[in-house]
Amino acid sequence: MFLAMKELLHSKMRFLMIVIIFVLIAWLVFILSGLGNGLSTLAASTFKTMKADYVVFEEGSQSSMSKSLLSDQLMTEVELLPNVSAAAPMGTTMATALKEQSTKNEDKVDIAIIGINPGSFLEPAIVEGESLSSGNPTGVVVNSTMKDEGYNIGDTFQLDGTTESLTIIGYVENQTYNHVASVFTPMAEWRKITFAAPGSDKGVAGPVNAIMLQGKDIDPDLINSKLSNTDTVTRAAAVQGMPGYKEENGTILMMLAFLLAISAFVLGVFFYVITMQKTNQFGIMKAIGASNRFLGKAIVSQVFVLSLTSIVVGILLTYGTAAIMPKGMPFKLETSLVVTYSVILLIIAMLSSIVSVRKITKIDPLKALGRVE
Amino acid sequence: MTKGLQMSEVTKYYAEGSNRIAALDHVSISVEPGEFVAVVGPSGSGKSTFLSIAGALLKASEGDVKLNGYNISTLTAKELSNIRLREIGFIMQSSNLVPYLNVIDQLLIVKRMSGKAKREDKEFAIKLLEELGLGSKLKSLPEELSGGEKQRTAIARALINNPNIILADEPTASLDTKRAHEVVSLIAHEVKSRQKAAIMVTHDERMLEYCDKVYRMEDGKLSLAESSRSGVAHV
Repeated sequence: MFLAMKELLHSKMRFLMIVIIFVLIAWLVFILSGLGNGLSTLAASTFKTMKADYVVFEEGSQSSMSKSLLSDQLMTEVELLPNVSAAAPMGTTMATALKEQSTKNEDKVDIAIIGINPGSFLEPAIVEGESLSSGNPTGVVVNSTMKDEGYNIGDTFQLDGTTESLTIIGYVENQTYNHVASVFTPMAEWRKITFAAPGSDKGVAGPVNAIMLQGKDIDPDLINSKLSNTDTVTRAAAVQGMPGYKEENGTILMMLAFLLAISAFVLGVFFYVITMQKTNQFGIMKAIGASNRFLGKAIVSQVFVLSLTSIVVGILLTYGTAAIMPKGMPFKLETSLVVTYSVILLIIAMLSSIVSVRKITKIDPLKALGRVE
Repeated sequence: MTKGLQMSEVTKYYAEGSNRIAALDHVSISVEPGEFVAVVGPSGSGKSTFLSIAGALLKASEGDVKLNGYNISTLTAKELSNIRLREIGFIMQSSNLVPYLNVIDQLLIVKRMSGKAKREDKEFAIKLLEELGLGSKLKSLPEELSGGEKQRTAIARALINNPNIILADEPTASLDTKRAHEVVSLIAHEVKSRQKAAIMVTHDERMLEYCDKVYRMEDGKLSLAESSRSGVAHV
């Protein structure tokens, strides 16, 4: 550490350049991960924040809400199965909200209508206004982002292409589905909207898209065997089953993976070049008795200090960027995410310095003396 | 346990094409503590190979090398590095200081190689440097030192671990006459007062007056020249 720090302080410019490159890499990694996280939140936060552990879909629906249709009569059966502590039905439909028959662009808002039973565990916490009630089927609870679009409590809006209109009675926070604001409606109203066309419910009594289950250690196979024509998956699998979700996350992850792989090479090469420049110096120290371990530790601790500094600066820059980003940007930093990627970057940097350490062990102190005959 | 450096019948071969060239040819030498020995000879005569083997940097093809009682021909690379650290003080051609360490840290880094630099190490380092006339340069970087000062720092560095053997490889190569005398007389003084076994490889015949014995190296063979001390050596 001593040697490492002395050199860092002596050759500030040289190390500053490496730090700048590392900071830029770290910054990009954090921003990309924040964007990825923001996007996946936008795509599925309603699903992700639900207090459900398992989801029962129709068999063959590939864990997708939009491909699944079940009867809510299954509820009574599924609740009796072992380890199931509670069950609640859910339905989703994409729609467009239209403010007072307006034809202006800004008055049309895409929404996701989420049908739930008022008072069930699927109902998110209200931050303003009232919660859903079965007695008021057209009273809905919407995501607070709709406030920015000019939809206030008490406002009534039309659903484009239907005769239904809904009245906002409360707001919830961080509830989005398929990248648009979630609008929670009582189950009865959701059915009216979704199955407006005769026969579209395929004759299912009390149709819902899926039944959400609460309970630890539920055995999906057991449920599948007890209830015919069902497919039970974890909530995480259901999130993955959302249309486009996997692809979207895959894109971001792919970029991150490439970025990390490239940064490993770039940093490795930098550390290697710096080590190469010091071959003679290390050789002399070896001649006067420095062990490989001593010199290796000097390199690794130097890389550690450089990496840590760069990552911290990268994090600060990222939070700075987040603060000035436009509000609508799907950017969401989470501490756990920042910590994870910091650790990954640190590990990559340390691994990339191994090449340099290997180089040191191969230095022949005799050559450094320049006196080989 | 015998102190100092003993080499007996040491031979070093280098492969050159299909031939073997003996860079050292059955070299025997013994240097006692408190003895300052010079090795002179034309370039290519094997002086450096000799010093590298004595300094545990190179293994002999045949023969035994005993450093302070350790037979270094049988040691592993790791043990050799430890021997270099504890038993040998190297003074090199150009001082070869670490560019980003100040004078006192040049010495303490050697201490750190074997663990921690303690307070008494620092005191000893300061004492050494003052002895060598560097008391006012403790915080200077190598780039701020003159050639003589650098070489004196290197002498102090060679002594910091209190080794029993001092090996000097052309220590006056980059110095003018006045500084060269200064540096070699300092080495001689330290060797005598601290009872080190010292070997200096040199071209510089002006410096032989400081040495107890002068050996001549020619085509890998080492032979004792006339004892010096009497003034200019007759070699």
